[in-house]
Amino acid sequence: MSSNSSYSVPLVFNAVEIMTPFLLAGIGGLFTELAGMLNIALEGLMLAGAFFSIVFAAATGNLFLGIAMGVLSSMLLALLFGTITLKLRANVFITGLATNLFASGFTVVLAYQLFHTKGVIQFQNIPKLPVLVVPDFLQRIPILGDILFGHNIIVYLTWALVLLSAIVIYRTPFGLRLRGTGINADTIVSLGLSPQKYQLAGILISGFTCGLAGAMLTIRLAAFVPEITSGRGWIALVAIYLGNKTPFGIAVASFVFGLTESFSNYAQGAIKIPSDFILALPYVITVAAMILYAVWRHSRATR
Amino acid sequence: MKGRQSASGVLSTVMGLALTILFSFGLVILLIFLLSKMPAKTIYAFFIGPFSNKYYLGNMLNVAVPLIFTGLGIAVAFKSSVFNLGGEGQVYAGGLAATIACLAIPHAPGLVGMALALVAAATVSAAIAGFSGFFRMKWDADEMISSFLLSAAVALVCNYFITGPFDDPNNNILSTYPIAKQFGLLKIFPPSKLNVSAFLAIAAAILVYIFMNKTHAGYEMRMCGLNREFSRYGGIKVSRYLVLPMILSGALHGLGGGLMVLGTYQAAIKGFSFGMGWNGIAVALIARNNPLGVLPAALLFAYLDAGAKSAMLGGDVTFEIASIAQSFIFYLVTAQALYDIVRKRRRA
Amino acid sequence: MQLLEMKGITKLYADDLVANDSVDFSLEEREIHAIVGENGAGKTTLMKILYGLEQPDSGSILFRGVKKSIHSPLDANRLGIGMVHQHFKLIPDFTVAENVVLGIEPLRAKIFVDHVTAAREIRRVIESHGFSIDPNARVRSLTVGQMQQVEIVKMLYRKAELLILDEPTSVLTEQEIDSLFSTLRSLREDGKTCIIITHKLQEVMDISDRVTVMRKGGVVAVRSTSEVDKAELSRLMVGKNMLFQLDRKYAACGDSALEFKDVTIRQRGSNRPLLDRVNLTVRSCEIVGVAGVSGNGLGELEDSAAGLRRIDSGQILFDGQDISGLSTGELRARGLAYVPADRLHRGSSLSSTVTENLIVTNHHNFLRAGFLKSGKIRHYATKLVESFAIDGGPRIAIGTLSGGNIQKVILARELTGEAKIVVVSEPTWGLDVASSQFVYEKILEMRSAGAGILFISSNLDEIIGIADSIAVMYRGKVVGFLRNEQDQSKEFKEFIGEYMLGLRDDFVSPDDFVSRDDFAVRAKGESS
Repeated sequence: MSSNSSYSVPLVFNAVEIMTPFLLAGIGGLFTELAGMLNIALEGLMLAGAFFSIVFAAATGNLFLGIAMGVLSSMLLALLFGTITLKLRANVFITGLATNLFASGFTVVLAYQLFHTKGVIQFQNIPKLPVLVVPDFLQRIPILGDILFGHNIIVYLTWALVLLSAIVIYRTPFGLRLRGTGINADTIVSLGLSPQKYQLAGILISGFTCGLAGAMLTIRLAAFVPEITSGRGWIALVAIYLGNKTPFGIAVASFVFGLTESFSNYAQGAIKIPSDFILALPYVITVAAMILYAVWRHSRATR
Repeated sequence: MKGRQSASGVLSTVMGLALTILFSFGLVILLIFLLSKMPAKTIYAFFIGPFSNKYYLGNMLNVAVPLIFTGLGIAVAFKSSVFNLGGEGQVYAGGLAATIACLAIPHAPGLVGMALALVAAATVSAAIAGFSGFFRMKWDADEMISSFLLSAAVALVCNYFITGPFDDPNNNILSTYPIAKQFGLLKIFPPSKLNVSAFLAIAAAILVYIFMNKTHAGYEMRMCGLNREFSRYGGIKVSRYLVLPMILSGALHGLGGGLMVLGTYQAAIKGFSFGMGWNGIAVALIARNNPLGVLPAALLFAYLDAGAKSAMLGGDVTFEIASIAQSFIFYLVTAQALYDIVRKRRRA
Repeated sequence: MQLLEMKGITKLYADDLVANDSVDFSLEEREIHAIVGENGAGKTTLMKILYGLEQPDSGSILFRGVKKSIHSPLDANRLGIGMVHQHFKLIPDFTVAENVVLGIEPLRAKIFVDHVTAAREIRRVIESHGFSIDPNARVRSLTVGQMQQVEIVKMLYRKAELLILDEPTSVLTEQEIDSLFSTLRSLREDGKTCIIITHKLQEVMDISDRVTVMRKGGVVAVRSTSEVDKAELSRLMVGKNMLFQLDRKYAACGDSALEFKDVTIRQRGSNRPLLDRVNLTVRSCEIVGVAGVSGNGLGELEDSAAGLRRIDSGQILFDGQDISGLSTGELRARGLAYVPADRLHRGSSLSSTVTENLIVTNHHNFLRAGFLKSGKIRHYATKLVESFAIDGGPRIAIGTLSGGNIQKVILARELTGEAKIVVVSEPTWGLDVASSQFVYEKILEMRSAGAGILFISSNLDEIIGIADSIAVMYRGKVVGFLRNEQDQSKEFKEFIGEYMLGLRDDFVSPDDFVSRDDFAVRAKGESS
């Protein structure tokens, strides 16, 4: 960090880091949401990505191979989730729960089999995620330079994905058909297209981004902790709604959640609050945000 | 008075469920073959272990008790098309509330303390769930997400109380002080932990069934669950039935948690009820939200749980293979195509 | 030259319902071919098979003499077959252009949707057929007639040579129907072929070259339109003669039973009025028919009269007392009966039994200490099922019944007992002639018993047939109020049609009728 940082700059810097998994999962979840499916499996998909990316990174010593395998495994789980939901016509909410339960059970069973523990698994030989190097003059922009630069590459990849997803959703035939599927699947059928195809594509995209989000969680820690995702998938889902189902809206909502968590991390050091309360804070704030949003929407609707 | 399915519909549902369960059992066997160095012994332990002695059998039945309560809680809500996803936190909070009530009156007579503890458990959890119902009624805030988020927060707050103010420093697990001896429920199948709460669970299932199918409020609640617009059109006070099912659901979850403390643990242990809420959803779905069907469905889940425990002790696999088996029940329990296949087969 | 031949088409739905029973159907090039038949005659199923939305269980399709199998709408499009569905398959949030190109989007840089080319191509199609839509408008902002044009443009953009229109006139006004028909004629001039499904015989006579009559899943006749008349078609359709005959006994109108005073409802979010200072009075023993094109406030009128929608200003009086803001339950306690337009969702709970559906409004009468008296309920339901001749009995799920029987259950529930005011909306939509007749008789019985009836319908024929007076709504306003003289002439319908389209607006107060004479005078005065 540069010398002119006040208290708030590292707070925001960390928020940008913390928001990234929310944002990634949220962007992926946006594709399923637009295709008309409630995707609560984000949590489980993320967990699969988290576990397999670090295990493969440790086994191969290659960070990118690890991340790629993490993403791949998350997409495979998404494929299972999507196939059962769409081909066997199961309730998407229940299969989402199944995916979360499966991921948490499967990762523990494998961890136990491979490392003979159900607790935290530390990995020694995990390389650090590379930090994006930017020209010095950018880094020296007051405040913004300290906040925006110096993050690992997944953060910037995420920003690129936000942009890319906006283009795909609003500018391509795929996006048009995906949105059409969510609004009126009958129309898509009447044109001879398959709504299921676009829904499955949405699920696979969410598998991709959640895999990446999970990878970021474990590789940053160089450790796997059972249930490391700890509700982030759910918070990402709320970010989709708070973000009004637009990529940039989700980015803003994710930032708010990132800021909350970042702030509570600081408060934890500074003030004597039990850690359980601080851990509960994101949920409480999310409920509060959700209810305030509902009240606002309600008052607008009945005006 | 209740909606009657055709006989073939019932049969195809039963066959579909049987397939689902067989598939998950098959998956367990496959997993054990892959993971275990002594698969035969482990498989035996998983499937036969729970019946091998009174201790295992009784404990299995005892695990079913809270599952019956959470399953009923979910069935009541789902039948009303109100989605309570906060079961996890509500069971936990109910257990903690019962514990605190007992700790507050250590010298009260047994029955008084038990009754107070259960009232406290039901009230606290009903209130937690009721909030989500209220927000839904008042501002149309999605009760599914709010109940989940509230439950997640509540569970953490409960953790704080169990490991903080009420922590018993005299034991080396994270748990509260034990409740007074006279509040423990009577054991009915020693040496196992099975206790009189099993009778309460059966009674609860019957009462919920009667309530849903024979009473005025039950009829209105079911109608709202099937078609809210129709109910409003028919003159039913619909908003009431966004809150009431949530309160009933919360109360049933709370009772489940409270009975776990009184009957089994005699204290609130950190994380003691985890999984009961989620599994309650699966139990209710297997039972097709029929209160009486919850009884066998809960036994099935308790069996998977007991099997995994037995396989862990008598074999060499970890307990979580139960979650994998359970997840596949989740996967397939609503899979429409599975039931259609059975139906077509029968027709051909 | 023969364009299409469908031979021996048979289609069974689940539950062994025969939708098409070895149907033969043929089509000449450059003709407008009408398919008529009652609901459930199998017209739509046959067309869905032709368009690849359903697969026949047996039979074959020859297109330009070559055997084809059509597995999806894409196959149909490739052959040059397009279909305009009765319920439009449009995405309201998208623009006209986006809806038209959806599925076959022109590309820019091989990746992006080329909106410019799309709009240009579509504008060309629109202009060459004299349509009046803007490619960049959002579909949700269009009128129903314009939405239908979008559907036609969508098919022409896909190079359709054969256009199937399923009940295209059911949502249109007389004037819009005229314009649709001239479009169809100009398409025929361009060498295109059209199939039009309808059950309105006048339309068959007006537009078609040939007509195929279907009944109960089979074809009963194929004729040149010039060689048949309406009476014969009607006989072929229903198997016997059926005329719009209602036994109407006039009764003296009493006091006002239901009164709207300056009732306004605004759209949520925007401030657009959905009901705009509506004044309307329904007296006891009177049927007030409300006509209008859908989207002009009929639904809001229905909802507010039934207590299902809050009004923003004004008053609704019930027997002289202000009832604005009361719930449907409270209104029912005061004597409201209500047969809703949305009978499958609002009017019934499809997975519940007939009995459970019958008692939803009055189960309070069958209570003992909070428990339902099942014996009494069974007795009550059995009685109603018998007196309304409902198929299947009280214990089966209502969703398994036919549309006509579902409506009978609703009528049995609503029109048994004493109602002071009856709100009825689209009561015969989708019903066959016999079922419709039953509905009209029951409504007239209620009128004789002294109820005031608000009869909302987009079917002008039935309003003219049954109502004592007619209110016409346009953009949320009552623009005309006429004494009904049951004049089924085309002139009278067109006169009302002008109100429906907002070309006339001369409503002053509910007491200011436009009488038959006024009509004759005004019609003359304004048409010159």
